[in-house]
Amino acid sequence: MLSPTHHFALALFRPGGSYLGTVPAKLDFGPAHEWTRFRFQRRGELPLDGDSTARVLPLWNRDIGEPYCRGYRVEIPRDGEQPLSADFPLIHFGEVAKLAASLFVEKGLLVEGDQYSYRLLAFPAENDPPKPGGITVSNASPGLPARDGSLDTLRAWATPVGVEDCDDMPVFVSRQVLREAEEQTLAQRGTETGGILFGNLWRDTDSGEIFAEVTAQIPAEHTHGTEVKLTFTAQTWAAVDAALRLRGLGECYLGYYHSHPVHVWCAKCEPEKQKTCRLAKTFFSSDDEAVMRAAFPRAYSIALVVNDTAFGISFSMFGNREGQLQPRGYYVMED
Amino acid sequence: MVNLETSDLSLVVSDVSGQKVFNVSNAPADGTVGELISELLGRMDLPRNDPGGAPLTYQARVEREGRHLNATERIGDALEPGDKLTLQPNIDAGRSC
Repeated sequence: MLSPTHHFALALFRPGGSYLGTVPAKLDFGPAHEWTRFRFQRRGELPLDGDSTARVLPLWNRDIGEPYCRGYRVEIPRDGEQPLSADFPLIHFGEVAKLAASLFVEKGLLVEGDQYSYRLLAFPAENDPPKPGGITVSNASPGLPARDGSLDTLRAWATPVGVEDCDDMPVFVSRQVLREAEEQTLAQRGTETGGILFGNLWRDTDSGEIFAEVTAQIPAEHTHGTEVKLTFTAQTWAAVDAALRLRGLGECYLGYYHSHPVHVWCAKCEPEKQKTCRLAKTFFSSDDEAVMRAAFPRAYSIALVVNDTAFGISFSMFGNREGQLQPRGYYVMED
Repeated sequence: MVNLETSDLSLVVSDVSGQKVFNVSNAPADGTVGELISELLGRMDLPRNDPGGAPLTYQARVEREGRHLNATERIGDALEPGDKLTLQPNIDAGRSC
């Protein structure tokens, strides 16, 4: 649970520096909180089943000071010890600033396409007293479902794909899962399709590092797919859950995959451009991110995209790094 | 004997993946399932809206009966103490650009 200590706001300015206005800035701090907690769990500084309480604090601008911020900090308290924290940059408010700019466009104070700059401000939040009566909730979320395992054993017979970042938890995906995701994509060619990824979390007995093994995918049924959208319904989740229970292997949800019919999106471009176009490699939309936020909020969750291009199928993986979903490397476990 | 006509209920509520689980007390029997879901979204830090600002629709699935509850159902009629619910959204992945 995140405790607000401050309200944040954005002050926008025209290129010459003239002031446009200040609007409240609501940023979803959940991913930053999850990443911070997972980072310290991976380092063994937080228990795997610990409480998830944290505070979000402003980082004051070093030049002009309060109430101007250079970013924000997620701080996790520990009984009898110094709190653990991670700092996040101003750029996290970039999308919020875009929304704020669009408001000024609507008001006629900015023209679409105009450049602008912004400053982040923070003001102490007044804590409302709890309402009498009403429902009460307590967090009973499970800890990380990690079992003891060997990272070296999996690495020994896996092939690395993409760039391995030491900030990322190692992820191993079975070749069979990729094969099935490709088959599903080609069977529904031209429309988005997808499924849910399952597997195991492990803790390396030598280093203590947490790593994930994706062992299965279950196709998402009861969905509605178009060439630009895939809708997961309540019935989708119910069917997937039933299938997972039938498997009875103690696997956990690790994330989801879906296809991007790039060859359709980019039909008017030169085919060669699909080899390097961002849409075919590192594209993960805000809607794609929203599925992660609503269904797979933990920082160990991953998303796989099957890029269906004019030159064949490729895969891209995304995960939470420093509070934002970013492209990442992974390993393929051969049959 | 519990009088479910007026008593409040205790429930266990999770998100789709079970990564978030919350114990809920004092769910008002006279309230609706829709009101309960709306309250829980904030408490469980689940997104209410899609990136475009449109509200997301969540359905509560009750494990005991294996069905999705209607938002207008009365909590005291639809649920029993100790019931386990999963909040399952209708949500889009897609090219929102």
